[in-house]
Amino acid sequence: MIRAIVIGQVWATRKARGLDGQRLLLVAEKDGDDRATGRVVVASDVLDARGGEDVTVAFGSGARNVLRPGRENRDLVCDAAIAAIVEGVG
Amino acid sequence: MFLGRVAGTVWSTVKWPEAKGLKLLLVRPYRLGDLPPGATPTRGGGTASEPTDDLVVCADMLDAGPGDDVIVAFGHAARVALSEQLPAGAKPNVPIDAAVVAVVDRVSIEGGEPL
Repeated sequence: MIRAIVIGQVWATRKARGLDGQRLLLVAEKDGDDRATGRVVVASDVLDARGGEDVTVAFGSGARNVLRPGRENRDLVCDAAIAAIVEGVG
Repeated sequence: MFLGRVAGTVWSTVKWPEAKGLKLLLVRPYRLGDLPPGATPTRGGGTASEPTDDLVVCADMLDAGPGDDVIVAFGHAARVALSEQLPAGAKPNVPIDAAVVAVVDRVSIEGGEPL
């Protein structure tokens, strides 16, 4: 997983069926010093994250489990999802 | 997944049989420095200076073309997107780990102009 900040949103009508209904956010990865690394990721969001919020992003099957937990989620087209909205880092 | 712009096409005559007829595109990922100024995080900001020429080769079933902004998925998600075009029940047994899963209509950046 990575830590990132929400910077925007993406819309598309021509897309894979497995993407239907997914809210797609643009997030910028952060490094250990809280600075942006430059990497930008498109992540599915079911937590209603807002612009400027710090989040964690899960990848791979971990991301699918955010959208639909369990084994019946392999039809989803999702390899990155917002897994948590960060309130603080110790 | 990442947001990128289609930079070109790749041709190949020798391919895995299951990948026959598959269109391959070259996609250049957007980096934070490529996005409008509003994209720079207000807290702990600072845009990156990394090169932006790290091209990704990806399969395309959505008929995207050079200049289009697209979303590319990796791994299983890429193969699921490809399998949607195959006959029902067919498994996407292709040596593909990146695919165009959406052609972008609009991008909104917090506090910035749209792309």
